[in-house]
Amino acid sequence: MIDQIQRLGEKALAAVESATGVSVLEEIRISILGKKGELSECLRGLAQLSALERPKVGAAANEWKTKIETALSAKKALFDEQALAETLKRETIDLTLPARRHRLGALHPITQTTRRIVEIFSKLGFDLMTGPEVETDYMCFEAVNIPADHPARDMQDTFFLGTGVLLRTQTTSIQTRALRSQSYPVRIICPGAVYRNDHDATHSPMFHQVEGLFVDRGVKMSDLKGTLEFFAREIFGEKVGIRLRPSYFPFVEPGAEVDVSCFRCAGKDASCRVCKGTGWLEILGAGMVHPRLLELAGYPADEVSGFAFGMGIDRIAMILHEISDLRLMFSGESRFVSQFSSP
Amino acid sequence: MKISYSWLHELIDLSAIGSPEKVAAVLTARGLEVEEIQSQGKGLEKVVTAKIVKKDPHPQSDRLSYCEVDVGTGKNLFIVCGATNHKQGDIVAASLVGAELPNGLKIGRSKIRGVESEGMLCSESELGMAKESEGILILPPSTPIGKPIAEILGLSDTILTLKLYANQGHFLSHIGVAREIAAHLGKKFEDARKLYQGDVKPGKFKVDLQAGADAPQFHAVEIEGVKIGPSSPEVVKRLEAIGARSINNVVDATNLVLFETGQPVHAYDADRLDGSMIGVRIAKSGEKLPLLDGTEVECTGDELVIVDGKKAVGLAGVMGGGNSEVSDSTTRLLLEVAEFSSAKVRKTKVRHQKHSEAAARFEKGIDPANNERVMRRLIELVTSSAGGKVTGGSHVKAVDTAKRTAITLPFDYCTNYLGFDVSKDKVASILRGLECDVVETSGAFSITPPSYRHDLNIKQDLTEEVARTIGYDAIPSTVPVLSSAPQARSSADFIFLNRAKEAFVRQGLSETINYSFRSKSELELLGMKSTAKLLNPLSEAYEFLVPSLIPGLLENLRESTRKHFGSDALALPIFEIRPTFHHPENAPIEVKSNSDTGVTEQWKVAFLLSGPESSVRLSSEDRLYDFYDAKGVVTGFFEQLGTKGLRMLGLDQSRSKSALHANLHPGQSAILLLGNQEIGAFGRLHPKIEKAEKFKSPVWIGEWDFEALKKMSRGSYAAKTFEPWADTPPIERDFAFLLDGSVKADAVIAAIQKAGKPLLKSARVFDRYQGGQVAAGKVSLAFRTLFRDDTRALTDAEVEPLSAAIIAAVTKEFGAELR
Repeated sequence: MIDQIQRLGEKALAAVESATGVSVLEEIRISILGKKGELSECLRGLAQLSALERPKVGAAANEWKTKIETALSAKKALFDEQALAETLKRETIDLTLPARRHRLGALHPITQTTRRIVEIFSKLGFDLMTGPEVETDYMCFEAVNIPADHPARDMQDTFFLGTGVLLRTQTTSIQTRALRSQSYPVRIICPGAVYRNDHDATHSPMFHQVEGLFVDRGVKMSDLKGTLEFFAREIFGEKVGIRLRPSYFPFVEPGAEVDVSCFRCAGKDASCRVCKGTGWLEILGAGMVHPRLLELAGYPADEVSGFAFGMGIDRIAMILHEISDLRLMFSGESRFVSQFSSP
Repeated sequence: MKISYSWLHELIDLSAIGSPEKVAAVLTARGLEVEEIQSQGKGLEKVVTAKIVKKDPHPQSDRLSYCEVDVGTGKNLFIVCGATNHKQGDIVAASLVGAELPNGLKIGRSKIRGVESEGMLCSESELGMAKESEGILILPPSTPIGKPIAEILGLSDTILTLKLYANQGHFLSHIGVAREIAAHLGKKFEDARKLYQGDVKPGKFKVDLQAGADAPQFHAVEIEGVKIGPSSPEVVKRLEAIGARSINNVVDATNLVLFETGQPVHAYDADRLDGSMIGVRIAKSGEKLPLLDGTEVECTGDELVIVDGKKAVGLAGVMGGGNSEVSDSTTRLLLEVAEFSSAKVRKTKVRHQKHSEAAARFEKGIDPANNERVMRRLIELVTSSAGGKVTGGSHVKAVDTAKRTAITLPFDYCTNYLGFDVSKDKVASILRGLECDVVETSGAFSITPPSYRHDLNIKQDLTEEVARTIGYDAIPSTVPVLSSAPQARSSADFIFLNRAKEAFVRQGLSETINYSFRSKSELELLGMKSTAKLLNPLSEAYEFLVPSLIPGLLENLRESTRKHFGSDALALPIFEIRPTFHHPENAPIEVKSNSDTGVTEQWKVAFLLSGPESSVRLSSEDRLYDFYDAKGVVTGFFEQLGTKGLRMLGLDQSRSKSALHANLHPGQSAILLLGNQEIGAFGRLHPKIEKAEKFKSPVWIGEWDFEALKKMSRGSYAAKTFEPWADTPPIERDFAFLLDGSVKADAVIAAIQKAGKPLLKSARVFDRYQGGQVAAGKVSLAFRTLFRDDTRALTDAEVEPLSAAIIAAVTKEFGAELR
């Protein structure tokens, strides 16, 4: 009888092995293991066996039952897997079709640069201040030590609206308003649009400046240098350095032109796009606040001193983003304005 | 300003520094920025003098010649030449193979029409001597052969171009720059130039100063027997090297003095002056004066003029008169060395737009102590080139301006102001090196600057001199100490502004920044009028300050449409937040006080949507921006700013009329109200404008007041309050009503909300249908309602009566029919 079971078992295993689908497996299961299946039929003869034989045959039959069941479920798993694989294959789509995206908006690069600059100086305790774009001659020029007949007026071509009324040529007018509205210590950063009668690839009749002012007792020129060095490294990277050169602005004394070493090539690339091979970027004007400004604003000019600096926001944005034509900034061109959704 | 290196070298020995580049570096470091270094011989290194030994016609061309030239090497070269002005025996300039000429032309061995050419015979323009020239350069027959052309032409100088600031008038001359070099070298500058040493006795001319402190001194000298003619080639070359033009020997002498000393001087034809008198007075209003440049000015009565016994003969400090200028027949001269008020000269220069070399110096101030010496130098230069004899002169001083007040400079001031140690001795030696008179008193120096340094008036000026002499590199970096806690009050506006900008960016709009000025026609197109006009605009396109940001945004769309060649795909979702400008109409714009211009700046918020709503998608999913996109942008914007009380009212239902309304589609636009205050409007650009502008898809615009919005919004530092929700299950009920087509969804919702109290939590439209089974003039609107009790689960039985009440209310109020 054991032999009969074994033959039955081997036949069943062979049938499982050669089965072609899940339904065939089910047929095999029913024909062998089902209530009326061959193995079940076979086991019905168990009763006629001796007590000695019975456990042996029973064990053999159970062993074969387990074997067949295992083979059946293994084969079924294989078929399921194949079926799943086919489904997955069928469901494969063209991943290269365009993404369904929400449009990303972008802040203007000038706004982004302004924010970066303001954030950097706020770390040093500077507060933000703004002022009107239509200014009085007094606030824009007289109060910053550029009287009516001063040759320095040639440095800036001014747009006029009427007698003594103009579009500010420099954000210095915000400083003069600040000095008149508060007492020292003054620590302010003043961004805004300014206007000059000039138009080409590097000059725009409207552009943006940011100026800083720090007035307190005992402020030194080395404080100016330290502040601007901090700024340069925050905006252009840890490795840049700054260089001060003597210069002239009527509202500071001593005055300085401030260059930042090229963050891209560090002066090592003669064909560098950013610094044009000079190794330096001329981006800032600065100096110690002229005592005349403090006196005009009613400060005790002998007791306090201060430093001031100014830079073109548009120019810094052009450097950071490698924008070659300033006029693009004000074109509203769809391809320009939508480009800066990442900083 | 241009400085000739060789001229400078004659004034001070530059050999200790070495080269033009090194001199430039020294000057730049001292604050005299050298913008450009131009070597005259650059590009001429491989150009030599050559003699045409033989000139044959080119075998293949009638126009070309084939020349055998001797370049002094013993081996003749054969060069093809296209010019026709040369002949056998001429001395010419030959550029050899390998030369790279000043105009960038590279000379190589080449075949011209089948004949090999071993170089090129050069024209003046090819040598960089002239902008244009005809034929090749023919040199005098005595010119030696095989010499570098730069040497023969004397083009060995180097020109430094300095960018000088308004307070650096004392550097506007070769001597001014030489003084800086001397200070750098630690030497005292000695002017060794040759001066006229003779006596000057009182002359025939009377000097009459009538302008007080505006014309403090005037020095006039008469010279007889001069012969006007061309200047020597050396003088011509020197003047041309620094960009000046040679006129004649006398005028050139005056220019040499100007560029050498920085003191403008003038020579009159004494025979053309009336009444043996020269003087200075304030011009008469309407007084006319012909000038050297051929123009005539009409004085306003504010200028200083030079006068003779009868007439004005010069615009003092700016330009000489055309009625007294030196001509070829002049034999008697009156030389002028004078001082005029900087402010007067500047005003005159600006008013009459005469930007002369003289005005550029007088407006910044000349050396008032140097008139005597300059006159002697001028006489020397004039008489040595034009002959003649001094017959007399006089030097009249109305006011002494040469005396300077001393400045007190505490010993430790520089150290404290600059932030690093500068010893007392160092300060003294630096300032003495700059020709200051330095006297030590107790605790401080008393410093008298030289008469030519108008920029040194306070101790900070002296500190800059000390710093730039030591070099700014010596200044250390320190971090400023905060003496009080930082404040952030005024940053709040900036934070709010940025939040407003981000409220657009999050919705996919990009920021634009437009000029504050636009053209009249752009404003007129929108029926807008600016009340702030620029007096001196860049052009008509930028003449009026904007009353609204919409014209700028429309220009962006116009420009983008143009740049996209009319492509349909152009999408422009943009916004701008900037000031607009307003002034009472018909009142002149003039300053009201030191701080008040009378012009108000009103910040506005504006946006524009046009084109496809989404970025790249399949065309089946494409759609254009519509009203509800614009409405979404508006509501999303206000929601993000935490604005309370925003309402929209259809333009057709509003009685208010702002400038923007006429530009909007009356049936697809709304006004915006905060509480009861109208703050702006948005909607579709009026189709008549869309059509006139040929915009391809509907244009949605909006603009509202930023300040009013700010008042009604959550403050910059106030945080959004958390709104908790209930976790009890809701019951949903949907209703579809057949309504008259004119019924607005909002009104139905209001009725539903009223009838659904107290358990109704929300009601919204979820479908709208017209056509098909719905009769014409009717609309089917479907509403989804949500009922909930925050404390327990509701039963259907509780909702049923409310549902019935809703149906009853809508049916009754709108004549609706439940579908």
